Amino acid sequence: MLTRAWLGLLALSVASAVLTMLHAPAALIGAGILILALIKSRIILARYLDLSTSPAWLRGFTMVLTGFAIVVFALYLM
Amino acid sequence: MSDTSLIDELPGELLMWVLIISELLVFGAGLIAFMGVRLTDPAGFAEAQSHLYRTGAAFNTAVLVSSGYLAALALYWRQAARRGKARLALVGAALLGCVFLIIKGAEYADKAAQGISFESHPFFMFYYLLTGFHAAHVLAGVVILLFVAWRDDAHNIEAGAQFWHMVDLVWIMLFPVIYLLG
Repeated sequence: MLTRAWLGLLALSVASAVLTMLHAPAALIGAGILILALIKSRIILARYLDLSTSPAWLRGFTMVLTGFAIVVFALYLM
Repeated sequence: MSDTSLIDELPGELLMWVLIISELLVFGAGLIAFMGVRLTDPAGFAEAQSHLYRTGAAFNTAVLVSSGYLAALALYWRQAARRGKARLALVGAALLGCVFLIIKGAEYADKAAQGISFESHPFFMFYYLLTGFHAAHVLAGVVILLFVAWRDDAHNIEAGAQFWHMVDLVWIMLFPVIYLLG
């Protein structure tokens, strides 16, 4: 499980790098980058920090980090 | 379900979770402030960001998540009473932390060579403040990982790994905002 999490994190990091090279609207790329960061942070919380054993806490952290990403994205679009 | 049982659900040290939440709030506030100040000069922020070494920072992301993997493995091995492998994994995690710091140091040296400092632009004030504060946590994390490799009680390793994953988590949110959202 840990190895799968690590490989997933590496793959998502490569995906972020590829996204920045695409010729697409900045808003789309920005959204993609933040979504990938959110997925990565959830993997770290669930697998590395073992919050997969505590779904309520994992949900709480995910909600707060999603709120943070939405605020950052809104400021990015302004 | 009572509040006490919800608290009890948290894996590892409760105080480490208090620290993790505090650090996420501090860095989160700093990054939101960064994005807020960016509104005053989006073109200047984009120009300043173009001076950053994105490839090195992206490589550092891979370094940190790999280091976190080793720290997580160390706890798994220690709980399975494989102390030698656990210690080796912790030293490996600490070495990768050093690789992160070396790349960060090269990045700062490159900025200095370009004559870029705290005062060059508000972007760089935030850049040095946030990445510097994070690098200080990486340095502290390296010391903690080596310490728990020495005093390798499973609880010590768990607390040290939790700190290290927090450092990882902060970087995962910091990197896209500072380096990529231009």
